Amino acid sequence: MHDKNFMRETLLQGAQAFQAGKMQRRSFLALCGMAGFASASVLAGKAEAAASEIVMWNWGGQSEECHQSAIGAAFTKDTGVPLKFDTSGPLQGKIKEMVDSGNVTADVCDADLFDAVALGKTGHLEALDYSVIDKTKTIDGYALEFGISIILYGYAFMYDTQAYPDGPPTSWADFFDTAKFPGTRSLYKWANGSLEAALMADGVEKDKLYPLDIDRALKKITAIKADTIYWGSGSEAQSMIVNGEVSMGMVWQNRGRSIETETNGRYKLVMNQALAMPGAYIVPKGNPGGADVMKFIATAQSVPAQLDLFACLGMTPTNPEAIAQMAEVDQPYSITSAANMPMIALNDPTWWGENTDTAVNAFLAAIS
Amino acid sequence: MRLPIKSGWLLVLPFLLLVGGLFLGPILNVLWISVTDPTPGLDNYAQLGSSDTLRRILWTTLRVCAICTAFSVILGYSIAYAMVHATGPAQSRMLGLLLISFWISVLVRTFSWLMLLGRNGVVNSTLDALGIISAPIPFMRNELGVLIGMVHYMVPYAVLPIFAAMQSIDGRVVQASRSLGGSGAQTFWRIYLPLTKPGVVAASLVVFIINLGFYVIPAVLGGGKVLMVAEYISVQVLITLQWGTAAMLAAILLFGVLALMFIMSRFMKLSTVFGGART
Repeated sequence: MHDKNFMRETLLQGAQAFQAGKMQRRSFLALCGMAGFASASVLAGKAEAAASEIVMWNWGGQSEECHQSAIGAAFTKDTGVPLKFDTSGPLQGKIKEMVDSGNVTADVCDADLFDAVALGKTGHLEALDYSVIDKTKTIDGYALEFGISIILYGYAFMYDTQAYPDGPPTSWADFFDTAKFPGTRSLYKWANGSLEAALMADGVEKDKLYPLDIDRALKKITAIKADTIYWGSGSEAQSMIVNGEVSMGMVWQNRGRSIETETNGRYKLVMNQALAMPGAYIVPKGNPGGADVMKFIATAQSVPAQLDLFACLGMTPTNPEAIAQMAEVDQPYSITSAANMPMIALNDPTWWGENTDTAVNAFLAAIS
Repeated sequence: MRLPIKSGWLLVLPFLLLVGGLFLGPILNVLWISVTDPTPGLDNYAQLGSSDTLRRILWTTLRVCAICTAFSVILGYSIAYAMVHATGPAQSRMLGLLLISFWISVLVRTFSWLMLLGRNGVVNSTLDALGIISAPIPFMRNELGVLIGMVHYMVPYAVLPIFAAMQSIDGRVVQASRSLGGSGAQTFWRIYLPLTKPGVVAASLVVFIINLGFYVIPAVLGGGKVLMVAEYISVQVLITLQWGTAAMLAAILLFGVLALMFIMSRFMKLSTVFGGART
């Protein structure tokens, strides 16, 4: 173990020297070779994470460009530290595996706030430094010891305007009412959001959802199982809707606007009773970039970064100041705007952080 | 000088070490997790007795794999038969087409099936336009969809071993059967099919074992309702962090496959099945 730490330190120093131009590439690679790092992984940016940079672990695609332009550019300008990406998707299991293996290559994960609860408890995360990060620049209750919400996404549903000419569905109760609104529906297949939707449909007040009554929710969900298909990714949810596989489909709320635009308004987003989900930044224990990551998170809270992320990805800002500065036309698509706030429910990350395993497995057992 | 072991072993030694380190090591780790996480003991395995969900998932997996294997091997047999009886250039073309299908990614296939057989897919909209159906036929997002996707993926894997077995048959035994008065059907059932049995067994084994690990096709074409063991393992590893359960299911799959091969080996020489020397 000590040897491993020693080699890590040596590598880190070597990497810094390499970065500063004091060491030749060849010597650096030789050093990596001695330390047992395959040079392929070094070139792929793994050990390079040690050389003063921040590696963001996210989901790739558009979000890589968006994070670079919205946060990375300003952060690098202020600190001189570049932002790099690992786009393999920071699921809880992968973060746990990375930290347990002792080879941590990411500094900040674009994850969920419930991940901060679950993995913070088991010692897999660094506590956030609230002398650098501002607790007031997020929604009340969404600044936790091991993670802070930077943006919000959410669960809402869309419907086919041609399927319901006599009056569109307006609530989860309508969504679950297959007699009044016939047609196939789609729900998220890993429980999150689907359970809350079912409870709201069953008459639970939106601010009294937690602790979730899983059995009650599943009863509602299995009642329409024959008319439901389930999706596992945002693109799948989108294709189910635009390909006409469903007449009503749950979506990630931030994607709703682009689906409306792309289909010329044929499919409409219903914001009533949408569930706002706190997307959070969390820091794996022993992250290679050290304390710089706190400055990165603080940069992400700034108003320009928050507004850019909204424009780029449709994710709602959590900084109240950013919401206040949003254009009138954007307000309806911002899940926590003044007009939406009375209609929507807020996710409880603590409940999900403590109950994900039970909830997901009960849900899978019910739908399969 | 005589070495205590045959010198050939020295040549394969580096590879044995690689396999030992990179393959057996992780497998042992998985087995270890299955009896230690979250508490030491056989609790994870006891879940098989107590959890209806786990038993249902395993049953779904076995059922889907068995049906898929049957269809793949029957279709593969016909294709191999056609190939082996085609002449030179035609045979190469057929083999080429078969190999090309190996290169099409599973995601592309999956979404192509949705385009073709989905609710508003080409087939349903054509049938609807012709007035043959009034409501779309639910081909996809159910077990039928999973089977269509899996059989399509596995047919080439079934063809190759059967094709190899058919190629090695001496055509004169068929002629001999016919000249001794056997009918076409008799010749097929009593001469040709038994001679191709090693190929059929090999194809069934390969197809079944690969099927057990299918993830993308059931996840997408099953519409979330056909939960097979590979997807369940992935959820337990990545989302619910119940690594003990995941490792236990992985171990069950591993031992299941080994047991299957052991049973097969009682009936025939596995080396023949996998193209080894016939001794």
